[in-house]
Amino acid sequence: MRILFASILCLFLVLALTTVCMATSEDEVTSKISEANNALREAFKTVLEAEEAGANVSGLVAKLNEAGGFLSEAEMAYRNGDLDKAVSETAKCLTIANGILGDALALKSSALEDAQIMRTHTLLFSFAGAVVSVVGLFLVWVRFKPFYVRKLLKMKPEVASNAKD
Amino acid sequence: MLRIEDYKAIFAAVGLIGVLLSASPSLGLVLHLPSGEKFSELWILGPSRMAEGYPFNVKAEEGYLVYVGVGNHMGSSVFYVVYVKFRNQDEPLPNVTARTPSPLEPLYEYRIFLENGKSWEAPLTFSFSDVSFFENRSLVGIIKINDVTFHVDKLASWNVNGTGYYYQLFIELWIYNVEVEITQFHNRFVGIWLNMTVSL
Repeated sequence: MRILFASILCLFLVLALTTVCMATSEDEVTSKISEANNALREAFKTVLEAEEAGANVSGLVAKLNEAGGFLSEAEMAYRNGDLDKAVSETAKCLTIANGILGDALALKSSALEDAQIMRTHTLLFSFAGAVVSVVGLFLVWVRFKPFYVRKLLKMKPEVASNAKD
Repeated sequence: MLRIEDYKAIFAAVGLIGVLLSASPSLGLVLHLPSGEKFSELWILGPSRMAEGYPFNVKAEEGYLVYVGVGNHMGSSVFYVVYVKFRNQDEPLPNVTARTPSPLEPLYEYRIFLENGKSWEAPLTFSFSDVSFFENRSLVGIIKINDVTFHVDKLASWNVNGTGYYYQLFIELWIYNVEVEITQFHNRFVGIWLNMTVSL
């Protein structure tokens, strides 16, 4: 009787322990997937900022797609109960997403620098163009005005032919 | 002959045009012209990558192929999620008026990052197994999408009007909203009807 009771107790303990382990494991997977999802979103946001700064982000978008593929595999594996696959795919996604984040930040800062230089050049050239245009026109005007006056003085006065008596 | 005041006005106008032309690159930095309409495309093509030859009469243990595509015209790079869902004719589709997705659990999914003006297309293969028919009903036990197995246990009643057991494989387009930092239903979905038939 004692042996039977001890066996049942052991079985119960093993079952309880397994359930606790399973639950912890599932929680871990959920939290890892969530972490990978956040890392991917953060990486995308930084890539978007780099793109807005004028950087060519084609290479980074290709990497984002690779990471996104791993995260999708992880989500589907999790939904199908394949926790091991979910964990390994999530880890692959996290590694790529973290790499993208660093690359995107570097690309963004270099694109911002380039954009600042370009903006300065544009403003300088615009200002110089406007000044050259105004000065050039003023010089033409200075030469044109005496020419116009000379031409006006050379003109013969016309007698009005339709004047009434 | 024009008067000196007229020439003055012409010179002033030419000067103003010259200044505006010279300043136009700088004005471009400040003034932003309105961009065109922003939208996304979502499509399903048949096995020949044309809008024809879609699988319709399907049976167990046979593979089928369609192509899923997304196009980005949103003005910048976008993070899309494409969910593949499977339903019988009684289960709800997304509600385009209320802008809500179908409450059904997604089976397969694609996460896609697309630059503006680019499109993406991928094959979607599917097959059914564990299919049974009884009392004017059909039961699909398993659907395999791109070699991933999903246990669905989906029942369909005999459709008297269409004379078949109708299921629908449909895809929903979701988009990641950077401002609120959530993935939202993008109010676009497409699907194909499937009539489950008996394997001979």
